[in-house]
Order: sequence, then structure tokens, then C-alpha cells
Amino acid sequence: MDINELKSHSDLSFDRAVAKKNLLARAESELITVYQDHIFRADAVTIASVRALMESQEHFFMLDSNSNPVKIDSPKEFLDLLIQRQQSALNTYHQTYQSLKSLKD
Amino acid sequence: MNKGVLMYCFNTDQVAYHRVADVSIGLAKQHLGLPITVVTNRSTLDSWHNPPDVNFIVVNNDTNNTKLGLPWYNLERCEAIEHSPYDCTIVIDVDYLCFSKKLLQYTETVHDFLIHSAAHDVSYRQALTYERKSMLPLVWATVLIFRKTYQVRKIFDTVKLVKSHYQHFCNLYRIDYRNFRNDYAFAIALHQCNGYHAYDIIPDSIATLPHDCTVLSYNDTGLNYRYQDKINRIESQDLHVLNKGFVNV
Repeated sequence: MDINELKSHSDLSFDRAVAKKNLLARAESELITVYQDHIFRADAVTIASVRALMESQEHFFMLDSNSNPVKIDSPKEFLDLLIQRQQSALNTYHQTYQSLKSLKD
Repeated sequence: MNKGVLMYCFNTDQVAYHRVADVSIGLAKQHLGLPITVVTNRSTLDSWHNPPDVNFIVVNNDTNNTKLGLPWYNLERCEAIEHSPYDCTIVIDVDYLCFSKKLLQYTETVHDFLIHSAAHDVSYRQALTYERKSMLPLVWATVLIFRKTYQVRKIFDTVKLVKSHYQHFCNLYRIDYRNFRNDYAFAIALHQCNGYHAYDIIPDSIATLPHDCTVLSYNDTGLNYRYQDKINRIESQDLHVLNKGFVNV
């Protein structure tokens, strides 16, 4: 590999890495959601916590993104919202990431 | 409860901020769908050949501040609670471009005052962190969301106090940056008003396009930019654009 080829390969990798970071930042931003007037992050930990608590509790308490306690009155509704928000964000990330990956071919 | 967007726009000899505002007003209208009020001065208002369909408040602004050696007129933000005609207000910088409706959801929370504590460079070359520049965590006054409550009024009153004695507070908090900066003024006010403890924030990071990045084009959903020979795009993500030259694209 000559130096010019290495440079263009490195440049492309850099562009892809920056684009990926921005896509991830956008996805993480889109995970933020409001439920019962509190801010939550629809990440895997929150979803798993809600799912686990639902199995044994009709109502339960969660911490919002600022560590304020919130009584969750309708766990199913909350879980559906979290999953919908997370999958929407990751679906967008996935679609754009596929086009990004094709840049290397 | 009525909601709306508040912007501050004052032209300088170097930057025609009213042209920047034209872009951000259009995007805010499209994505947030809220009424908009622009606080400006007479000369800036006269620069608009076709003023946008917004509510204008004309003030005699303070012109006694600089940023990076250039005039920078953004000293009226501490009066946002008086200027805003809305019960719930989203204050945004004129160079903050709304490419999404995400700010709307923060008007539906229990919080009377919200602000970002993080920002990131979308070209991923600079870490926009200032831990070593002062003795308190910085907040980003680029976006404020507030309701007109007693507690919020105290925050704004404290920002005014900080503004009046800024050098003293710079010494107190060992702030490197000596020209008035809203970010530090709000950081100090929140620190003091919240009993020197943590306060509630927007758990998101402001995507920021640095000064040395050139905007190539933009539309209603995103923006293409270049840094040296690198070209990238930001799509459906709100963006704080520091290089005001984008209005010439």
C-alpha cells in the first residue's frame, strides 16, 4: 500500500467514525422521553427494570433521569412507550448505519 | 398554559444576526409549532426588509461586551422572564437550529427550569468540557426552558446579580473567562439558588458545530458541513452552529 492509498483509506475510516458517533449521539438523544411529567431515558437498563418490576408489582417506583422518584401507575403503558421510543431510535440508527457501512465497499 | 419560543437577536458590525434568526425562526416554527417572540433593538429590526411573522420586543440593549475580541451583544438574557409573554418559555440562541421537535417534550415536565449541562463537537475534534476553567460545573445557556414561578424568578434575579458583580464571581469561582458569559452566569445562579448542590438538567448534549466548520448547505431536516477536506451531515438533530457564515449558503 502506498502512502496515498493509506491516506485515503484512513480518511474514509475517519469520516465513517465521525458519522457513526453522530448517529449514536442522535440515537441517544432520541431515547430521552417524558412520562408522567418526568424525564426518562428509554435505554436497555430502564426497559429491563420496568419489565422485571412488572412481574411482581402492580405499581412501583422508578428514578427519573435526575434521580427524582416517580410512582409508575400504569407499567404496561410505560413499558410500551419505552420500547417504542428505543426501537424507533435504534431503527433510525440501524438504517443509516447500513448506508454508512456500504461506504467501505 | 401558553407556550412559546423566545430569541435574542442583536446585529453587530461583523454579523447580521437577523439573517441567522430568519433561518432559526423558520426551523423553530416548522418543528416546534409554537409562537415566537424576538427581543431585538431598533437598528436590527430596521435591517429586516421582510420581518418574519413573529412578536417583536424592541429594547435598548447593552453593548458593553465582547467575545473572542469581537462585539457580542447577549446581555439581556437575564431578563427573559420579564420579556417572555408565555407561561412556559423555550429560550434558544438564534444560532440554535431546530431540526427536531425534541425540545417540546421538556415543556411537559414537572421541572420549572431546565438547562443543558453538556455539549459536544459534531466534528469530534474538541472536547467541549470546562472542568479546569472554573470551580463549578458549566451549563449551556444556549437553551433554557422555564415557567414563571417564584423559584425561577429567584434564579433570574441571581443571574442579574451575578451580571452586576461579574468580576467578583469570576474570582469567587476562579473562572478563567473574564468577559461576561451567560453560561457561567446561569451556572453560578443555579449553584447558589440550589444550595450549592446539584440541580435538575436536560439529560442531553447540545450538538455543536465549531467555528472552523463551514456549512455547505442546509434544508428543513439537516445540514451538510465541511472541515478541511471532510464532509459530513447532521440529520434530524438540533444543532448549535457557531460559524454564522451559514446564512450566506
